[in-house]
Amino acid sequence: MTQPHGTVPGRADVSSDHLAVGSEHHPEIDWEAAERSPEFRELVTRKKSFVVPATIFFLGWYFGFIILAGYAPDFMGEEFLVDGLTIGYVLALTQFIMTWGLAAWYLRRSDRVFDPLAKRAAQRALEAGRADGRGGGRFERAPADRDEEVTRR
Amino acid sequence: MTFIAADVNELALSIFGVVVAVTLVVTYFASKRVASATDFWAAGRGLTGVQNGFAIAGDYMSAASFLGIAGLIFLFGFDGFLYSVGFLVAFLTVLFLLGERMRNSGKYTIADVLSFRMKQRPARSAAALGTLSVAGFYLIAQMVGAGVLIQALVGIDFTLSVILTGAFMIIYIVAGGMLATSWVQIIKAVLLMTATIVLSLFVLAEVGWNPIDLFTQARAESPEGDAYLKPGLFLASPIDTVSLGLALVLGTAGLPHILMRFFTVPDAKAARSSVMWAVVLIGAFYVMTTALGFGARAILGSGAEEAVGTGGNLAAPLLAEEVGGGAGTVGGDLFLAIIAAVAFATILAVVAGLVISASGAVAHDIWSNVVRRGRDSEKEEVWVAKIAAVSIGAIAIAIAVIGGEGLNVSFMVGLAFAVAASAIFPALLLALTWRRFNTSGAITGVLVGVISSIALVIISPTVWPGPDSEGGALGFYDLANPGIVSIPLGFIGCWLGTMFAREPAAEARFPELYVRSETGLGAELGTGLTLTGRRAAGRSAAAATTTLPHP
Repeated sequence: MTQPHGTVPGRADVSSDHLAVGSEHHPEIDWEAAERSPEFRELVTRKKSFVVPATIFFLGWYFGFIILAGYAPDFMGEEFLVDGLTIGYVLALTQFIMTWGLAAWYLRRSDRVFDPLAKRAAQRALEAGRADGRGGGRFERAPADRDEEVTRR
Repeated sequence: MTFIAADVNELALSIFGVVVAVTLVVTYFASKRVASATDFWAAGRGLTGVQNGFAIAGDYMSAASFLGIAGLIFLFGFDGFLYSVGFLVAFLTVLFLLGERMRNSGKYTIADVLSFRMKQRPARSAAALGTLSVAGFYLIAQMVGAGVLIQALVGIDFTLSVILTGAFMIIYIVAGGMLATSWVQIIKAVLLMTATIVLSLFVLAEVGWNPIDLFTQARAESPEGDAYLKPGLFLASPIDTVSLGLALVLGTAGLPHILMRFFTVPDAKAARSSVMWAVVLIGAFYVMTTALGFGARAILGSGAEEAVGTGGNLAAPLLAEEVGGGAGTVGGDLFLAIIAAVAFATILAVVAGLVISASGAVAHDIWSNVVRRGRDSEKEEVWVAKIAAVSIGAIAIAIAVIGGEGLNVSFMVGLAFAVAASAIFPALLLALTWRRFNTSGAITGVLVGVISSIALVIISPTVWPGPDSEGGALGFYDLANPGIVSIPLGFIGCWLGTMFAREPAAEARFPELYVRSETGLGAELGTGLTLTGRRAAGRSAAAATTTLPHP
């Protein structure tokens, strides 16, 4: 338990001032190859093609609303269908619906598309590490877990 | 000096007592389970998505949301509701850009992610500075708010209220760490949602179950008439409105106590589903602020403008008293007491979250990594964290008591959001997405963000030359919300600092952070810690395959 928790084996290729205490660096994986792998590229491309437009859309819709509130208060105060309900309040409600809708949509996409892709990319990187004998399929435990075991006994 | 005023509301006090007793029981159970640093800061990464979703909601919705927004709507109509919208939409920034990546890349603090590929000591110091500024400003605002509210609602003296709030907060953290904090936040979220739903139903019943009548009756009760349902009564300057919107929507994604919550779940999937739960709860709550705020105007009328106090913070409790049957009736007294207790629980949950994130910055970042350079044991780290929590709590109590009720709470909260959006959000986002980004970029970015936010708030009309004065210190600059200037400055700081130095080591480690943040390969594993005792059984097969296999 009293051993310093910063000592993690296998750090030779990274200068020591770039390593966090206890944050396990994993030199047994060829991260550059993992980044170049077609599986990872596909994950990133597919994810970006959702997240970038979705982010632009929600920021646009939100700031459109805020700018109208700032610069066109009279328009925002106009009646919408019934007396008492203003265009401003209805637009505000659309922000809630947008947030719920985009969040739910992103969750669905993640479960169906991004997660399986991420898993494949991770698998690929692990297997590559095994093949060139870097890790041989045996990896150092995360320090948190090691400490955990010692503490719990 | 009498600590307890003559008119203590015994009913509210006993409901307070029950709430606090429940949280202390939870803390007792948590204290027997929390041992390692992962337990202390990340609740053993054993929370489920649902639990963490409730905890995020409990961590996020402060008394400023519950009482503050209701009060702003009561006083200024539509403008108050702009806060509700901004506070919710902000979670899309968290969900799309940071939530899962934080979970995959970090361990206990945002500095873990920010400094992942940087020079540890300077980068962590910068991240800790950002965390401590945000948590500090936010904490003092909450403590002062707690004192003012408890004094008004329960009749306990301001000083004693602040000390009690701080004391419970410290007990939760020192005894039960993140596990206790999380459960306090979950309990608070349940209480807050239930109270808000019940109060909203009472309000709707009062106006004849037609939500539209809420607006027409509120308009009829406001001396402003039609303008009450329009923007512009509170935020008169359009550019200030946009600046506020910017700080709300990006600031949430830089709040260390919210981002820290993503370390408490076992994997990115749970991080994602916790945001979904949080968005559902927080969104439902903010929709209901319509009933609280406009309802308070419709039912209490303009006669109550004096009684709701500065900022209208007492509008919601007075509304509860009114719909419960009015002052002096059993129903009115009971409902007021319940709302007061919920407000107290709300503050406790938020301040506990703030202090545990600050303790992470002090113990994990500054002590372990900067001062001791990793030569300390994990046990030492947790001890330092507890000492840090007590000290930070004591300092916050002292500042709140010395500053007193006069301390401008909304300016402190605005400052916290501005620093989060201008200093923490740009650096975190760039660390995760921009290969060229390096240590000097992170340091300049955080420093420029922190300094520009603070400086711009100090010269703003809210502070200088004094409250309610016309114009700021400089004639041409009169923004109350610095976001629109300070956020771009934060990004420019990151960019300029990066360009002044080349750091091949930081660029070389980018692939590891990039692949890890997107796939979870190499991510920290959970220990399966739960409040009730099952340990290590809950780790899913999916989590085990996407992280490194175990011997």
